[in-house]
Amino acid sequence: MSKYQFIFVCVFAWLISLPTLAQDDVSPERKQAIDSLALEKVKDLGKYISIIGNKDTPFSEANRVIERAMELFADGAQMGVSSLNREEVKYYGVRKYFERLMALNYDRVTIRWFNIQYISDLEKQPDGRYVGVITIYQRFQGESDDGLKYMDTTKKDITIYVERKQTQIGGRVIGFWDVLLGDIRVTETTS
Amino acid sequence: MNIKEAIPFKGLNFSMSKLLLISMIAAVSIGSVGCKSQKKLAREAAAKEAEAKAIQIEKAKAELNRLLDDNSGLSLEEKERILNRIKSMNLNDPEVNALIRQVENKLAEERAALEGNAGGAGNMEAEQRLNQYFDAIANAGSITAANRNINEALSLFSTPDALVLIIISKSGGQKDYDRPTSIKKYLEYLKDQKKNINAIDNIVYDSQGKIKELELIKQ
Repeated sequence: MSKYQFIFVCVFAWLISLPTLAQDDVSPERKQAIDSLALEKVKDLGKYISIIGNKDTPFSEANRVIERAMELFADGAQMGVSSLNREEVKYYGVRKYFERLMALNYDRVTIRWFNIQYISDLEKQPDGRYVGVITIYQRFQGESDDGLKYMDTTKKDITIYVERKQTQIGGRVIGFWDVLLGDIRVTETTS
Repeated sequence: MNIKEAIPFKGLNFSMSKLLLISMIAAVSIGSVGCKSQKKLAREAAAKEAEAKAIQIEKAKAELNRLLDDNSGLSLEEKERILNRIKSMNLNDPEVNALIRQVENKLAEERAALEGNAGGAGNMEAEQRLNQYFDAIANAGSITAANRNINEALSLFSTPDALVLIIISKSGGQKDYDRPTSIKKYLEYLKDQKKNINAIDNIVYDSQGKIKELELIKQ
């Protein structure tokens, strides 16, 4: 390839990449708002899980909350479940996980999420989506009337996808940031 | 009997096979002409229909623009009647739809203004009440109490599916939104999450004074 041909190819490649560069125009303030939005969605999930697991939650309410929680997830997302009594981590589709959580064989269940923070910032991918990872700690406590008690603390990593989307409502196009949670992987389980 | 003898126009020297051939060609030609005529008629009908719809759209646009004009001389009731007639035509034209929305907003404002201070105060009161319901739902002591407040709050809206937009950022004159939701889902969100972190930014009322769209902003 001659020098001129090389320069031509470089200029052509730069011209093609211009539209993509233009889409990168998210100011630091806007990016911060998107980061906060994703963090908020994770906190919301923690609350939903607490409601679904709580034995005082009426069946119909728990089912309604499952539907709300499902809306937070990307299709096919999985949830890791660990136990101090076994080595392996089991993975379930999120709906299955919620249904199992609702049916846990305890008389009292409390679940609390804490130390929720980014371990990998949202970064723009070649496909235009932002992807990051948020870590959370989950304190689980289950008690039965017959004295059976189990508790553990699990560290979990949640993959976050944020995508710019548009929807048409009443003939009006509305652009929005869609936050979707991906797989939730267990990275540590302690008593 | 000889077949040729049975043909009435024997004197014209037509054979039976030639007659049949000519008949078939004639039939095909007539059929083709008929088919072409039908297609042409259908095209003409479609063109007429399109033309009629275009005229309707132009008329609707003119009427809607007249409704947007402050000097139209029409009463509010007359304007509302015209708007409803145009809406019922279901013209499904983007420009007409946009004008309809503008007129709806304008007439809602006019309705509020017509009701004088009472109307304005009514809107203010609705906003205050809504804020109170948001707090009451987020801080409800029981599911029953939260549900009661949700049902009362829903009565302020034109429908439980009324649009709720949540602004997450207003940086550089550009609004960034969270995923759009409905008022019913939003009120349930307040009940579940027990937090009221969004402030009311804008309310759009319908002609009945009910809220048809709510814009919130993250605090």
